[in-house]
Amino acid sequence: MSQMKKRYQLTQSQKMMVFILSMSLYGLSNMITELVPKAYLGPVEFSIEYFAFIPLTLCILFHPLYAAVGASLGEVIFGEIMLGQFGGFGELEKFIAFSLAMYVAGISVRDPKNKRQVGIAAMTGVIIHQAISAIVDILKVWIGVEELEAVPGLAESIVVIEGFSFLNDVLFSGILFALLPTVYLVPRLYGKIEPLLGMKPRDNSVTYSLRDILGPRLIAGGIFLACLAFLFEFLSESGINLIEWELDVAEAYSEWFIAGSIFIAAVVAGITTMLMIRRHRKPSGSQKKEEVSS
Amino acid sequence: MEYARKLSEKLSVEQVKIELLNTAYGNGHTFLAKLDPRTLFILYLLFGVMPWFVHNEKILFGMFVFIAAMTLLAKVSPLILVILCLGLLGQGGYYLIASLFFGGDLSIILPLLELTLKLAVISLASITVFCSMDPEKLSNGLLKIGVPGQVTFSIAYGYRMLPSLLEEYHHVFLSFRLRGKAPEKHGFLYWQAIAYFCKIAVLSFYPLLLSMSKRARTTVEALETKGSLYGFNHPEVKKLKLAHMAFGKRDYLFILFFLSYLASLFLLFT
Repeated sequence: MSQMKKRYQLTQSQKMMVFILSMSLYGLSNMITELVPKAYLGPVEFSIEYFAFIPLTLCILFHPLYAAVGASLGEVIFGEIMLGQFGGFGELEKFIAFSLAMYVAGISVRDPKNKRQVGIAAMTGVIIHQAISAIVDILKVWIGVEELEAVPGLAESIVVIEGFSFLNDVLFSGILFALLPTVYLVPRLYGKIEPLLGMKPRDNSVTYSLRDILGPRLIAGGIFLACLAFLFEFLSESGINLIEWELDVAEAYSEWFIAGSIFIAAVVAGITTMLMIRRHRKPSGSQKKEEVSS
Repeated sequence: MEYARKLSEKLSVEQVKIELLNTAYGNGHTFLAKLDPRTLFILYLLFGVMPWFVHNEKILFGMFVFIAAMTLLAKVSPLILVILCLGLLGQGGYYLIASLFFGGDLSIILPLLELTLKLAVISLASITVFCSMDPEKLSNGLLKIGVPGQVTFSIAYGYRMLPSLLEEYHHVFLSFRLRGKAPEKHGFLYWQAIAYFCKIAVLSFYPLLLSMSKRARTTVEALETKGSLYGFNHPEVKKLKLAHMAFGKRDYLFILFFLSYLASLFLLFT
């Protein structure tokens, strides 16, 4: 037990190393998968969804939390925002679901040299992530978006598409780009990569039971995070409707309401700007800069 | 497939690397790049979030025109624009085909176009804002709005390192190809060739993982000797570091300009 705790006692800088490593590598791989063309077969899409083996490997070898969060952040920033594929609130769902899945995968491996354990963990990670995102996508359509009901065929088609893409991602991307590479890489990197970051490898002589890992806290936390993920995703869709409902109540006034509020906002913004310009001029800017440079 | 082949001819790794470097450092002279990062964040907040709540096509179109003009001003690299367009068209087309397949009709095109317009505004906003900031500016801006120092540093570092990482990855990839043996037959639909490339693409990460972790350690140790980790946790140091950031006249005018533009859009079309 004491040795298990030791594994989590990383210094601040070591945590940062893991974070940086995971973020830049997964960001790079995201950029690559983004550039690789996708193949469509009718409505069905065959593509390399992601190189999940990178965060999986790092989560298994290092501190799972920092590696997982780093990878998610890398994906959001280099795979999404930088390439202009950012989807607002929906990305938070991805972020949380992905971090959670990778974290669970990382924490469930006790012995990185045991290929079976690593393989099971890798598949668990992929399945958790894909299941959350598929469920969220389906629920989003079933509960939230009524406009889509008006379009015949779309609701059913989304369920089928999501179901299929879940299977596709788990069986195709999951096995080819998560299971096989992770099982290949983890035992090879174990003991080699840790000294490069100035840490000891994880001690695999410590065995602790599954109950220690899957404690109630982790399960409760996982469910909470999954719900949060769903909430954000749902918000990103239904936030639109919420605002509309509000306006429906005041439909007669809505135009005036919008126009008025915008006018007020513009006036406030204008006044603030003027004030700030004036205030900005008063203290001489050059004096400040001298202070800094001296 | 023809189109994809043409694209891949233009899309050499060297080119991608140059474009990335350009994105990170090449746009220092544009109008947007001279603004304060916080101004750009406000712009992004408005144009990246508001479209979700807007259902009026005219307003959306007005926003699109504005943000497209900004994109032109920011001199965003064509490669990123191409990726963006492909992504947008791909997604729209995907939903269209899917719903046609399940018995919808062409009436879906209009809502889909609206959705695409929405996504276009949001994506262009993020591209424009990001391309107008170099890594250091971005990290300072994030630090100013309260993101922890470790995270902002990592973002800036990743932003800076991506081009060189890509180059290194390419070298490893090429050396794998050089030493390995490509399959003699392409197989049905090139599947053997594709499988071979996928395998190398995965294997190339092995050396990269090792070299990158070495690099991460060097970086963090250099940070330690510079006392950055101390600075991250102490507000006074942060204040000193960020003292150069200030809203100028240009920022206020620009904020006023796009706010009034948005306001007039809403006034005109609601």
